[in-house]
Amino acid sequence: MFGKKPTKERRINAWRALLTGICSLTVLSPLASASTVDQEIDQLRAEISEHSARVFALEQELLHPADTRMAVFLTLGNREALDLDSVELFVDGQPVASHLYSQRERDSLEAGGIQQLFVGNLSNGEHELKAVVTARSAKDHFVRRETTHHFQKHPGNLRLQMSLEAEAPSYDPRVSFVEWK
Amino acid sequence: MMCRTLKASMRAACSLLLFVMAPAGLAATVGVPGELAAGLARYALATDRVAPALGLADSIKGESASFLGAQLLLSSGRTDQGLAELRQVANGQHHRAEAALILGRHLLAGDQPSEAEQWLGKAVRFGFGETRQQASYELAELARRAGRTDRAGRILAGMEEGYWAAVGYLNLSSDYAREDLNPSRALVALRVALAMAEKDGVGERSRHLKSRLLVRAGYLAYQNGEHDKAIGFLDKIPLDSYSTPQALYLHGLALAAKGNHRASMQSWHRAKKYPLAYPGVAEAWIGMGRGFDLSGYLGQAGEAYLAANAAYESERVTLRKLADRIRQQGAYKTLVEDARDSDLEWFLADSRTLTQPRMAYLLEFVEHPNAQKSVRRVADLVQLARTLERQKGDLAVFIQALEDQLATLGTERGGAASTLKKKQESLETALERLAGANLSAEQKRQMRRMSETLSMSAKSLKELGSRIQKRPSVLRQQLRQARALKAQTTGLQDQLARLRQQSEERLNRRALDFVAEQDRQMAFSLDKTEQQIAHLYEYLALENLQETKP
Repeated sequence: MFGKKPTKERRINAWRALLTGICSLTVLSPLASASTVDQEIDQLRAEISEHSARVFALEQELLHPADTRMAVFLTLGNREALDLDSVELFVDGQPVASHLYSQRERDSLEAGGIQQLFVGNLSNGEHELKAVVTARSAKDHFVRRETTHHFQKHPGNLRLQMSLEAEAPSYDPRVSFVEWK
Repeated sequence: MMCRTLKASMRAACSLLLFVMAPAGLAATVGVPGELAAGLARYALATDRVAPALGLADSIKGESASFLGAQLLLSSGRTDQGLAELRQVANGQHHRAEAALILGRHLLAGDQPSEAEQWLGKAVRFGFGETRQQASYELAELARRAGRTDRAGRILAGMEEGYWAAVGYLNLSSDYAREDLNPSRALVALRVALAMAEKDGVGERSRHLKSRLLVRAGYLAYQNGEHDKAIGFLDKIPLDSYSTPQALYLHGLALAAKGNHRASMQSWHRAKKYPLAYPGVAEAWIGMGRGFDLSGYLGQAGEAYLAANAAYESERVTLRKLADRIRQQGAYKTLVEDARDSDLEWFLADSRTLTQPRMAYLLEFVEHPNAQKSVRRVADLVQLARTLERQKGDLAVFIQALEDQLATLGTERGGAASTLKKKQESLETALERLAGANLSAEQKRQMRRMSETLSMSAKSLKELGSRIQKRPSVLRQQLRQARALKAQTTGLQDQLARLRQQSEERLNRRALDFVAEQDRQMAFSLDKTEQQIAHLYEYLALENLQETKP
C-alpha cells in the first residue's frame, strides 16, 4: 500500500504523463493562437482607428469648410429630471438633424456626455434654429417642446451648445443655447 | 492653439508620405471648444464611436483628461499605451478607482491574477458605488476560483446589496453545491443572493438574474427531497424568461415526486412548447410518457413516447441542416446574423424570441464564455469591415468631387464674382440711403444687422480673388491625401479579410462542436424513449400472455 510504485507502473505513468503533456499542448495551442489573433486584431484596430480619424478629418475639411461651419452640441443640464426620447433640429425651417436615443446614449448624456448633434454649413447672416424635443419628465409625463433660437452667423466656425434642463417642482423641459466664441 | 496652428502649417507643407505618418485626427479637433471635448469623448466612448473623438485626446481639459485619454487609447486598439496611461491615472488623484478596476480586469483577462488582485484591492479602497461593487465582486471571484470560498464569502459579506453581490453569492452557491453532500449551505447562499438581487435597480438584468437564482434554488431543493420548497421557488419564475423551460421541467418533477402526475404533466406540456435546444425540454417530452405510464394510461404513454421520438428525430434533422449551413455559410451568418434578421415582427419579439429554434441554439451557444469571445471577435471584424467599406466609398466620392472641382476651377475666371461685387455696391448704397431716414429702435437694430451681414459679404468678396488663386494647390493636396487614404483603406481591407477568415474558421469549429454535442444529446434522449417504448411493449406482451393463459 505504501512506498514507491513498481517500475513498470512508473514507466506507464511516465508514458501517461508524456501523452497528457502532448494532449494538453494540442489543447493549449489553439488557445495560444487565439490570443495571437486577438493581438493582431488589436493592432489592426489601432491602425483602422487612426486611419478613420484621418478620413474623418479630411471629410470635415472637404464637407464643412471652417469659414461656413456650424456645429450644434447637446448637453443635459440637470441629469435625472428628464428621460430624453428624441431631438429634431431645423435650420431656417429645414430639417437638418434628428436623433432617437437609445438607453446607452441616454445614460451617457446623463453621465455628462456631450453629443455633436449637427455639423453643417451656413451662409453669413441671420438664421433661425428650431429644436423639437420629446422626453419623459421626472413625473412620468411625456412632453414635447419646441424652442426657437435666432442667431447671427459670422465668418468662421459657429459652435452652439444646446442645453436641456427640467427643474422641480414642475419638471417642465427648458432648452437654452450658448454660443461658443 | 499655437501647437495646433503649427501642426496645420506643417501638414500643409508635408508630402504624401509625411501625411500618412502624421498623428491622427488633426482636423477632427478643429471646431470643438476645449470645454466640450471631455463630454464629447465620454459620449463617443459610451456609444462605441471612437474614431471622430480620437483627435480630441489632446484638447481634453480637466481632471478627467488622462482617464478619458487612456480609455480612448484602449478602445482604439492601442492596448499597451492605454494600460500604461491607466497605471498613471490609478496612481494619481482623480479616477484612480475606475482606472484600477479597468486595469484589474485587463490583467485578469491576460491571466495575471496576482497583479490584478493588487489593482482591484486599490479600486475597492478608493472607489464608490458601482465601481467599488464591481471591484469587490472581481476580488471575490478571484478568491473563489482559487478555492478560497471562505475568503470569497467574507468579501461578499462586506459588499452592498445589489446585482454584483447577488452574482457573487450565486457563484458561491454553485461551489457549495458541488462540494457539499447536503445542499443547505448552497441554498442559504442562494437565499442571500435573492435578497441582494431585490435591491438591483436595473429591471431587465435583475429579472433575468432572479429567474436563474430561482431555478437553481428549485433544483437544489428538489434534489434534497424538499418538494414543496422547490415548487415554491419555481412558481415565482415568469413565463417569458430564458430559464422558464428548465423551471417548468423541474416543476413537473417536483409535482411528480409528490404523486401529482396530472399537474406534473401540465407543467411538462408547457415546457414542450419551447424549442428542444433549451435545457429541460427534451426531458419534459420523456416526462409526458412517464406521467401517463405512472397514471396507468399505457396506451397514451406509448403515444407520448412515440411523439417524443418523432420530435427528437426531427430535431436531429434540424441540427444536421444547421451543421450543413454552418459549413456552407459560416457560423456567424447562420447563428448570429440570420437569427437576428428572422425577427421581422419586432413588436412581437417578447413572445417570439424564445420560441425560435435558431435563436434558442444561439442563446444556448453563447452561454459559454469562449463562444462569446469567438462571436465577439467576428462581430468586431465585421463592424470594422463595414467601416472600411463605407470609408472607401466616401473617399471615391471625394476624389471624384475634387477632380471635378479642379477641372471647373480652371475654367472659372471670376465672372460671377464681378456680378456679385456690383450687387454688393448697390446694396451698400441702398443701406446708406435708408440709414439717413428717421428710424425706430427696432428698425435701427435691423439696419445694424443688415450692415453687419453686408460688411461680412464685402470682406469675403475682397478676399475671394486671393483665395481662388490658392485653391488649386489646396485641392491638389487634398486630392493626394484622399488617394493615399483610399490606397491605405484597400491595404487594411486585405489585412482584415485575412484575420476575419481565421476568426470565422475558429468560430465555425466551435459552433460545429456545439451542434455535434446537441446532436449527441438528442441521440441520447432518443435512446431513452426507445428503451421506454421497448419496456412498455414488453410489459404489454407479458400482460397479454398472462391474459391468454388458460
